[in-house]
Amino acid sequence: MESHIKEIIARVLNVALDRITDDLSSGDIPEWDSVGNLAIISTLEQELEIEFPLEDLFDLTSVKSIVEEVEKITNV
Amino acid sequence: MFDAPHSALLCNILRHAINTPDKIALVEGDNRVTYAQLVTNIDQAARLMLASGLGPGDRIVLAALKELPFVYYYFAAHLLGVVNVVVDASSPRERLDYITSVVKPAALFGSGVYHVEGIPCHDFSWQDASEVKPDECTWPHVASTDVADIMFTTGTTGAPKGVCLTHDNIAGSASNTNGFIGTCSDDVEALALPLSHSFGLGRLRCVLSVGATLVLVGNFANLKSFFNILEAWHVTGFGMVPAIWQYIKRLSGRRIARFADQLRYIEMGSAALPVEDKRLLMELFPNTRLCMHYGLTEASRAMFTEFHTHSGNLETVGRPASALVEASVRDDDGNPVDDGVDGEICVRGNMVTGSYFLPEDNEDSFYGDWFRTGDWGHRDPAGDFYLTGRKKELINVGGEKVSPAAIEDAIRSLGITDCACIAIPDPNGVLGEVPKAFLQKSDNQPDIEEIKQQLSRLLPPHEIPVQWEWVDLIPRTNSGKIQRLKLKQ
Repeated sequence: MESHIKEIIARVLNVALDRITDDLSSGDIPEWDSVGNLAIISTLEQELEIEFPLEDLFDLTSVKSIVEEVEKITNV
Repeated sequence: MFDAPHSALLCNILRHAINTPDKIALVEGDNRVTYAQLVTNIDQAARLMLASGLGPGDRIVLAALKELPFVYYYFAAHLLGVVNVVVDASSPRERLDYITSVVKPAALFGSGVYHVEGIPCHDFSWQDASEVKPDECTWPHVASTDVADIMFTTGTTGAPKGVCLTHDNIAGSASNTNGFIGTCSDDVEALALPLSHSFGLGRLRCVLSVGATLVLVGNFANLKSFFNILEAWHVTGFGMVPAIWQYIKRLSGRRIARFADQLRYIEMGSAALPVEDKRLLMELFPNTRLCMHYGLTEASRAMFTEFHTHSGNLETVGRPASALVEASVRDDDGNPVDDGVDGEICVRGNMVTGSYFLPEDNEDSFYGDWFRTGDWGHRDPAGDFYLTGRKKELINVGGEKVSPAAIEDAIRSLGITDCACIAIPDPNGVLGEVPKAFLQKSDNQPDIEEIKQQLSRLLPPHEIPVQWEWVDLIPRTNSGKIQRLKLKQ
């Protein structure tokens, strides 16, 4: 699941997969701006058929936090 | 120390360096720069430029990286009469190559990510500056009416247009804006807007011109980090575009309201903001000046409105920003029309450009000294202006102006027989407008996903259409012009 999420993030931001490290945060690279962040959220929701709770969106600030949140939602 | 009588902005910064030398002017990460240090660094950057042979009238392409040296070089160029061509270095290479080919720069600065063969490239490494001796040097004569900056904006035909702004223009805009908003030297502003845009660069000038403190923030993507900066620096003001407000609202709900007591002002602009959002902002920030500007790169902050003082009329884009700015609604012959009658909004004043860089771009852009905005609207008898449409066919994606012609060219280059793009409301309600593409059907037509994938190599993400539709024929006039209105219906 973790590698799949990273692949999606890399594809949405149009960057190489090896740049999507655990500690990479929104705003760290130009591609991950506010529009990129929204695109990541909506693409993950669509492709993984999940819905992030609104109250959790504020805390989804890094690759690690996104992976943890998806795993929490999907009970992986 | 330098003297810069041609630049009211530099004169103001110098005055702050003398009166409040230890006041923090800029913050970037762990770095703090006082006004005294700012002036010293501008002085050193200017000497570096002089040493590399740059002088009045030379043009440099300056990558708008949100780093301290950008600020030094930007103002150093003003000091020397060197013209800044400020670019977003992450723009598509075709745009950067076009700009470079048009302005023929003497050098590129901040070019770690952008090199052009045959043009000297300097990065922003600042240790070089310490080696420059503060020896005697003669500062060139520069006039306040000389061009200070050239900002490239999106042209309707697809080719970017260079907007020439004089020292008087940019100082005038800062003065008008500070006068309306009421920014003062006690303020601390967080700047998360891009410096490659008129809005963000304007905020930099406004804050330093008034002697306040500016905290440079990468962008708004990480709201948690942005909120931490608001708290840590006790920020009193910031600027945002409507798309960012939608982003803040979506990701953080009402959390931002906890800063209501410390925020003295928020400046908004670059695109329309729905009235319900204006009401929500008024509710969340009852004591904050909520200032929204109407303007263009060519006429920065032409008009302003403040939501609380104009609470009975939130539809207006406001009134001219200061007594030095005039706005007028004109018909197709350039004659003023009566109040209540729609026409093209035209502006003139201290901040309005006198010309584009290429003479051909000036055609149809002015009625005498009145700049034609390309926006349609009217004025009411009280003097408030309203927008009702747009003559120019640009698509406003979250404040980024996108030329439909540029998208169409890219799509056609993929072998599509014919196509047309229009603006549609963003289905997600965030970006305001987004592009929709109509493609003319043909034999062996490719898959939309395939087209999108190929386009991602040609266009930045915000220019890729979000809706697609195959049609039998793209409607065109007898002269071959796309009839976009028909497609909108």
